[in-house]
Amino acid sequence: MARMKFLCDAERCIECNGCVTACKNEHEVPWGVNRRRVVTLNDGLPGEKSISVACMHCSDAPCMAVCPVDCFYKTSEGVVLHDKDLCIGCGYCFYACPFGAPQFPQDGAFGMRGKMDKCTFCAGGPEADNSVAEFKKYGRNRLAEGKLPACAEMCSTKALLGGDSDVIADIYRNRVLKRGKGSEVWGWGTAYGKPEKGATPPAGAKS
Amino acid sequence: MQVGMRQWLCAGLAALALVMTSPAFSADKTSAQEQAASQQSQPGNNAPVWRDVRGGDNAYQTTQVRGVESSVLVQPEGETWRQVRNNLVTIYGGWVLVAIIAIIGGFYYWKGPMKLHEKPTGRQLLRFGSWDRMVHWGGAISFILLSVTGMITLFGKHILLPIVGYTLFSWLATVSKYIHNFVGPVFAVCVVLMFVTFVKDNFPKAHDLKWLTKFGGLISGEHVASDRFNAGEKVWFWLGVTLMGLLVSVTGFILNFPNFEQGRELMQIANVVHAVSSVLFLIMGLSHIYLGTVGVEGAYDAMRTGYVDETWAKEHHEYWYRDALAQQKSGGGATNPATASAMKEGWK
Repeated sequence: MARMKFLCDAERCIECNGCVTACKNEHEVPWGVNRRRVVTLNDGLPGEKSISVACMHCSDAPCMAVCPVDCFYKTSEGVVLHDKDLCIGCGYCFYACPFGAPQFPQDGAFGMRGKMDKCTFCAGGPEADNSVAEFKKYGRNRLAEGKLPACAEMCSTKALLGGDSDVIADIYRNRVLKRGKGSEVWGWGTAYGKPEKGATPPAGAKS
Repeated sequence: MQVGMRQWLCAGLAALALVMTSPAFSADKTSAQEQAASQQSQPGNNAPVWRDVRGGDNAYQTTQVRGVESSVLVQPEGETWRQVRNNLVTIYGGWVLVAIIAIIGGFYYWKGPMKLHEKPTGRQLLRFGSWDRMVHWGGAISFILLSVTGMITLFGKHILLPIVGYTLFSWLATVSKYIHNFVGPVFAVCVVLMFVTFVKDNFPKAHDLKWLTKFGGLISGEHVASDRFNAGEKVWFWLGVTLMGLLVSVTGFILNFPNFEQGRELMQIANVVHAVSSVLFLIMGLSHIYLGTVGVEGAYDAMRTGYVDETWAKEHHEYWYRDALAQQKSGGGATNPATASAMKEGWK
């Protein structure tokens, strides 16, 4: 089984925010929720670099580890998903996540955050694949349709790669060899540096 | 003409350089400068750029997405928080609570409830007025609600979830979260009220040391005289109600109101302080609850009805008993036995 990962090539990203727009449009994400964002380092200075970042679907996901209701699960392809029916909106995943991926529809007083929303690697949630309920809660399930994440597919410079880690790592390696620079695979150490954990859905989780 | 332009440009650049070297800019400028320098010697080396990524406090790190710390790429503190919370706090905190419950249970099994040595006189003394009791029970009930819901949030995943299943536990956790978040501020108010109400009788005195060295005769059964509150109660007042109450309240407010857009690091620290002080609060609270209910005969009735028997007062708080009697003789005491017992009956 393929292990799905994201890889952003900082030598190519031009900060067009096409991935952000593609994501918002594909999943009809509510206002204020940003599953993906582009961060620019040294904006306007020599050596400016941009990175598109979303949930990296970590090997040993901190969100999964700290969730008090254990609402996260991992698909056999390594995609970290969560069950919004179980989520209580405590915000712990947001404290733990290194990438700032978990989003909440509100930031209300008395901890009224609403249910957490994050990048699903376009793999939906525990509901039946491509059902109305799944779309309403998690957005489109492109993986079930045999497609890769919309953000990476839409990327104009192919800076953002999403898919089987062996394939995208190969593409990246060839690029580095050809251009002779920019070998930093940003975020991979943090996201995939630890042994895989929780690769099977927990007992009782739907799907 | 052209020379003039160039001079102006030079002056402008010099001014810009001055601004850039001012303290606000200097930290960020170095990484950009380093990057520029490394581009000359090693065109493929982006190390200076990546060095800044983790911190995220670079003023030139931007994003179009609005949100709390959205321009931070990696926050490594999250992993630290996870390790502290999941290992230190949950595991050690959990076992410490199990241990204290076992110690209290063992003590009860060994010593049993502390009974009066002499017969009750039937004469009642007013120990806690209605305001005292209202404040106490306001704090007590909210404390119990917060303890139960807090423990469900911290330990429920490991203890309750495997028993009741995902759906039911999620409901339980949702209800717990609402109770915790809305009762929390009520408790904070009660902490302030408890402090104001009981502080006057909780100042430490010389004889409190004697009480502490003899541990109040809890083990020996020896009589140790004390004020309206004994040294143990004073420890509970200062370390428990006041110190832990303050810590859980302040950190609780930080966690309870994310609408002020405080950063994650503050929330992580607040969460750990909140959990650790809650566990310490609970250790003291459980001891207080034990001694206030089954541990000491008559203690619960004192807080429920407000009245205690004179024998109880003499055996548990002798100095206070003498003061109360003296006050009664001078005509200031509200200790009419008839009304006292009538009130006590009324509560039953």
